[in-house]
Amino acid sequence: MLALRLTRGSRPLVQLRRLLVAAAAAGSGFLLLYVLAEAAARPAGSFPRLLWALLPLAATVHLAVRTARTDPATRPREGMDAVGLGPLHLALAAAVSTAVACTLGSAVALAAFLHLRGNLGGLPFDGAGAALLHADRPLPLAAALTLLSLTPLAAAAAAAALALRPRTPAAPAAGLPWGIALAACGLAVLGHAGPGGRALPAGWALTAAGLALAGPGLAYACGALVQAVRPGALRLLAGRTLQEEAPRLGRPLGVLCAAGTAAIAAALPGRGGIGAPLGPLTGPAFALTVLCAAATLLAAAVEVRQSRAASRAALADLGAPGSVLRTAATVRAAALLAVCLPVCWGVARLTSLALTG
Amino acid sequence: MEAPPDSDVLCARSVHYSHDGSPGIAGVSVAVRRGEVLAVTGPRGSGKTTLLHCLGGRLVPRDGEVWFDGVPVHSMGALARERLRRDRFGWIGPEPALLPELTVWENAALPLLVAGTAHRTAKRTACEWLDRLDIGGLARRRPGALTRAEAQRAALARALVHEPAVVFADEPTAPLHRAERAMLLRTLTTAARSHGITVVLASHDEETAAAADRCLPLLDGRPAADPTAAGPGAPGDTPEGQAACSLSA
Repeated sequence: MLALRLTRGSRPLVQLRRLLVAAAAAGSGFLLLYVLAEAAARPAGSFPRLLWALLPLAATVHLAVRTARTDPATRPREGMDAVGLGPLHLALAAAVSTAVACTLGSAVALAAFLHLRGNLGGLPFDGAGAALLHADRPLPLAAALTLLSLTPLAAAAAAAALALRPRTPAAPAAGLPWGIALAACGLAVLGHAGPGGRALPAGWALTAAGLALAGPGLAYACGALVQAVRPGALRLLAGRTLQEEAPRLGRPLGVLCAAGTAAIAAALPGRGGIGAPLGPLTGPAFALTVLCAAATLLAAAVEVRQSRAASRAALADLGAPGSVLRTAATVRAAALLAVCLPVCWGVARLTSLALTG
Repeated sequence: MEAPPDSDVLCARSVHYSHDGSPGIAGVSVAVRRGEVLAVTGPRGSGKTTLLHCLGGRLVPRDGEVWFDGVPVHSMGALARERLRRDRFGWIGPEPALLPELTVWENAALPLLVAGTAHRTAKRTACEWLDRLDIGGLARRRPGALTRAEAQRAALARALVHEPAVVFADEPTAPLHRAERAMLLRTLTTAARSHGITVVLASHDEETAAAADRCLPLLDGRPAADPTAAGPGAPGDTPEGQAACSLSA
C-alpha cells in the first residue's frame, strides 16, 4: 500500500514517466497478442515471429527498470531510512509501482485487442482489424493472459533486483573490446545466414548486444576526447562528467545505437535482410522499440541530472554562470551524436555488406 | 543610502532575511574592515549561514543594505552577483563540495578556469596553493581518495586560489577533529593575513572564534549584544522557556 501511496503522491513529471512505461507495456503486450493470434491461425513460422516480438518486450522492460531507478519515490531517502524503510523495502516499492504501470499497460493492450477483433461488441474501422487479428478464430485465453503477464512480471522482478541494488562502479572502458567482438560475431553470423536465413535473428541479436555492451566504452571515449589537451572549464566539465556517467548513460546509448543501426540497415538496399517478420505490424513494432530506447536514454539522462545536483550546487557556490553548465550539457550531447551516428552508419553498412557479400 | 567608509570592505546595514516565512536574520548590521578576520558566532540556527549568504551575494536580503567596496550588492542583478562571487569572493563550507570527476588540482583551479584563465596558469597557481596547504602530493588524485581533512584543505585551496577580496568560511572545521581543526584555521588565517584577504568566519565553537580578530555574536537571528534580542524570554525576566512554551506533549 505504501508503494501506491508513494506513487499517488508524486509530481506530474514522474507520473508522465510512469505513463510512458504503461504505454510501452501496452504496445508490446498488443504485439504479443497479435503474434499469438497469428500462431493460432498459422502455426508455421510462428517461433521466429515470437522471437522478433520479444525485442520490443525487452526494450519495454529496459525502459521500466530505468524509470524505476529514476523514480524519486524509490530512492533511499534519509527520512525513509530513519523510519525503517531501508533500501530493501524501497526496492519492493519500486517493483510494485513498476508492476502496476505495466499491468495497466497490459490491460489496455488486451482491451484494445479485443475491441479491434470485435469481441467487445461493435467492430471499429469497418472490421479492418478483424481480418488482421484473425477474429474468426477463438483466442486461447490462458495463453493470452500468460503472455500479457510477462511484461509486468519481468519488469517488476528486474526493477526489484536491479533498480536499488548497491552498485559498484564498473570500469566503463572494459566493455568496449567485448562489445566489438560480439558485434563482429553477429556480423559473421549475418553473413553466414544470408538474407532470409534462419540464423538471421541470432545474428542481429548478437550485433545489437555487442553495440549495447560497447555503449559505456563509447561514451567514456567520447568524454576522454572532449577533455583532451589542456581543457578549459567548459571542456573539463563536459568531458569529465561524460566519463564519470558513462556506465549509467552508456547502456541505453548502446541500445539506441543498435536500434538506429537496424533503422539505417532497413533503409539501405537489401533491407538488412529482415523483411517483415511481424507482417503489417513490423513498422509499429520497430517504432515502439526505437521510442523505448530513446525514452530509456532520456530516463538515464534524468538519473544523471539527479545524481549531479550536489555538483551543480557547488559550481553555483563558486559563481559559475548557469550558461557554463548548459553549454557543457550541449557539448556532451553533440559529442555523443558525433561519435554514435558514424558508428551506427558504419555497422549498418557492414551488415548490408555481410548480407549481400 | 550612503556608501560606507573606505576602510570597510564589506558592510551590512540592518539586514533582514526570512526563509519562506521562517525567520532567518532580523536587523543585523556589521562592518568588516579590510584584511581583518571577523568571526560570526552563535549556536546552530542563530542565522550565521544566512548572514554569510547575504554578505556573499548568494541571498538578497528582504530589507536592508549590503555594500562591498563601495558597491551596493543588495541592488545587483543575479548575473552581476554571480560575477562578483566568481571574481572577488571565495567560499568554503562545512562540506568540501569538491566535484568527484575532477582531480584535486582541477578542483582547486576551478574558480580560475571558470573565469577563463589559461589552463597552464591555472594549473600552476592551483598547484602552488596545494603545496602551501601541504597537499601538493595529492594534486592528481580524485576527491574520493582523500580523507575529510585533506578534502577540506583542497576546498580551502579552491577558496583562496583566485586571491579573492573576501573569503567566507561557513563552519569550515565542522567535520574535523581538533588537531586538523587547529591546522586548517591556522592555514586560513595565515594565508588571509599574508595575502591581505578579508575573512568572514562562521563558527559555533569558542576555540575557532578565538582565531579571529573580532567577534560578532548572533542569537536567534539578531546581534546577541542587542538587548531586544532575547525578547520576553530574557534571563531575569521569567524562568527560561516558560512563557514561550505552552505546548503539552
